[in-house]
Amino acid sequence: MTALTVEAQGLTKYFGNFKAVDNVSLEVPTGSIYGVLGPNGAGKTTSLRMTLGIIDPDAGSSRLFGGQRPQSVRHRIGYLPEERGLYPGMKAREAIAFMGALRGLDWSEGRRRAETFMTELGLERVIDEKIRKMSKGMAQMIQLIGSIVHAPDLIVLDEPFSGLDPVNQERLEMLVRRERDRGATILFSTHVMAHAERLCDRLAIIARSQRRFEGTVDEARAMLPMQVRYTPRGAPDPAVIAAMLPPGAEPRGDAWQFPIADAGVEPLLARITASGHGVAGLSIVRPGLHDAFVHIVRQVDAGFEADARVDALEEAAL
Amino acid sequence: MSPFLRTIFVIARRDFLSIVATPTFLLFLLAPLFMIGVGAIGGAGASQLADSARGAGRIVALVDTGDIEALRAADSRLRDALPRREKPVTLEIRVATPAADPLAIAREKGSDTYAVLSGPLAAPRIVEQEKGSSSGRYLALLAGEVLRDRAAGPLPPVAPRFESIANQGASIAVQQSMGFGAVFAIFLLTLLLAGQAVGMLAEEKGNKVIEILAAAVPLESVFLGKLLGLLGVAILFIAFWTAMAIGGGLVAATQIDPGAIAATGAAGKSAAALVSAPATGWPFFIGIGFAYFVMAFLLLGAVFLGVGAQAGTVREIQMLSLPITIFQVAMFSLSAAASSAPGSRLATIAQIFPFSSPLAMAARAATDGNHAIHLLALGWQAIWVALVVYLSVRLFRAGVLSGGGSWKFWRRAKVVTSAATPAGVVSSQSH
Repeated sequence: MTALTVEAQGLTKYFGNFKAVDNVSLEVPTGSIYGVLGPNGAGKTTSLRMTLGIIDPDAGSSRLFGGQRPQSVRHRIGYLPEERGLYPGMKAREAIAFMGALRGLDWSEGRRRAETFMTELGLERVIDEKIRKMSKGMAQMIQLIGSIVHAPDLIVLDEPFSGLDPVNQERLEMLVRRERDRGATILFSTHVMAHAERLCDRLAIIARSQRRFEGTVDEARAMLPMQVRYTPRGAPDPAVIAAMLPPGAEPRGDAWQFPIADAGVEPLLARITASGHGVAGLSIVRPGLHDAFVHIVRQVDAGFEADARVDALEEAAL
Repeated sequence: MSPFLRTIFVIARRDFLSIVATPTFLLFLLAPLFMIGVGAIGGAGASQLADSARGAGRIVALVDTGDIEALRAADSRLRDALPRREKPVTLEIRVATPAADPLAIAREKGSDTYAVLSGPLAAPRIVEQEKGSSSGRYLALLAGEVLRDRAAGPLPPVAPRFESIANQGASIAVQQSMGFGAVFAIFLLTLLLAGQAVGMLAEEKGNKVIEILAAAVPLESVFLGKLLGLLGVAILFIAFWTAMAIGGGLVAATQIDPGAIAATGAAGKSAAALVSAPATGWPFFIGIGFAYFVMAFLLLGAVFLGVGAQAGTVREIQMLSLPITIFQVAMFSLSAAASSAPGSRLATIAQIFPFSSPLAMAARAATDGNHAIHLLALGWQAIWVALVVYLSVRLFRAGVLSGGGSWKFWRRAKVVTSAATPAGVVSSQSH
């Protein structure tokens, strides 16, 4: 079993009487890229904050690097908060060096690395510009550099892609992979599935304050059946085709669409071949992470609505 | 250096530079110049007014020609013994003529005539502006002196031998006023910047840097670093003006002839003040005064920083500035009262109460020669600085960082109670 960099167990946090995070656990293997996915307001940021010890959980605990309290290993962590913030009066190079110095990096080394990073990311023009003169996306890249300038072993990024243009998103993905290759563990939250699908080794989905899924991208996608799109040759009678296909198949123009269980693929192919209607087009695809995510979140929401109905009934009964 | 101290200095460095490297700081640094300028103009005007008023006043004696010399001699003799402020106004001596009317002289334009003496010296008629005025009494005294001299005949001159005891022990009054001076100076310097601490975390909250700081370093070092940065600014300010004062003094010293200094009475007076040193000696007094300034600054700054950290908006911070100023003035008044009554119960209270302790203890250094007690006091105050910072951080962590929108503890309490009430109602109904 691989070592875990992050072991957060049963994190729970109340804001007033609202349970913002309910018994969320995160186990991030060392050297992996781990995504925390969830709709807006699901409790991702609060979970990350508790994991890093910025706020104290009402229940549960967070241990990093094999049983250490987060506060005692601050210099080994890099963190990009969801609410971006830099001192507007600082120059980019100084801002990065400052963030490094907070985590124990030497000032001059911080300035040197700032220059290297900024040049790599195509920001060499603004090295000595003040933050207030930069665009929001640029400032965000500066802050990102600032949070990894001290070469941390654990990098936590809260919604790192939001607010970046596609080119910068691409650069950020490159940067994340490179940091992983350096040996760092990366934990990031997002609600954009495309990034998670491309980057994550493992992921957790948080919805309605609870963790609803944990596993690899493929495991998440496997929660939904594969989708078949079949177009017969010629113009056969729809009723005949419908009889041949599994129940639930729907015509879409010339094509038919329906979900299929993993075991049902070969029998289906045999039936289509035997039927003699021919194959003008056939695709069998696993739905993307996006669909899996929406599926999970919808299920949770449906459960809540059902609960709400039950609550209403109970209240009426009282 | 330990990581904790290092992060404190990283924060302090940032804050110090961000305050100092602005044009506004120059304005702040030079602000006392305006004060000095206004003060100088006002002072000059006021002293000119006083001088002209003093020059305009007079008392008049209408005497026979033979008495003039004796009267003048008696006047200069008596005048010498009186302190400068209490010397009578100028004496104008005129030869008495039958035409001279004391009432007319008293009413002459051009100067205030306080009293006019006329008639024989043994039974003079004194016309005075106010009944029972000291000017009238003085003229009567002069007349008596002249008569007594004449009756006694020439006396052998008195040959007094003056001995000064100034070096043997400083006057208590001077030491107490030194104590008050120390209280006032520390109060003024604290007033300069400690109040600004209240808005310091507003910057971080406004531009969201607080979360970076909170994630990267212990909040205690954020608070202490900010205090230290502000203290650095204050010390820069003090150093600048001390250097200016010393430089100005040196320049003035080269311009003025030493003989002239010795000749003026004012110089003699300040020399006397220098001779009477504070009870702990000048070097210790100045050193401990600075140490107490640092403590006063850190203590009040920590309180203000902690209170300000709880504020949500700029408006709330502005509203806080009044109670904060009142708090500072209250500590000043307490310590000032204590400095004027050393050894009293009030003084002990002021010295023990942590927020007035630096001021009151600085005053104590002027009157009490005990050195060791100051070590104790500094330790006591340092404990309070740590305690205030610790509590501020706890409140900040519990309230502002965790609470999201509802950072006000009373509001959160309300949410909890309102949440509790419906549940209670339901359960009581179901029973």
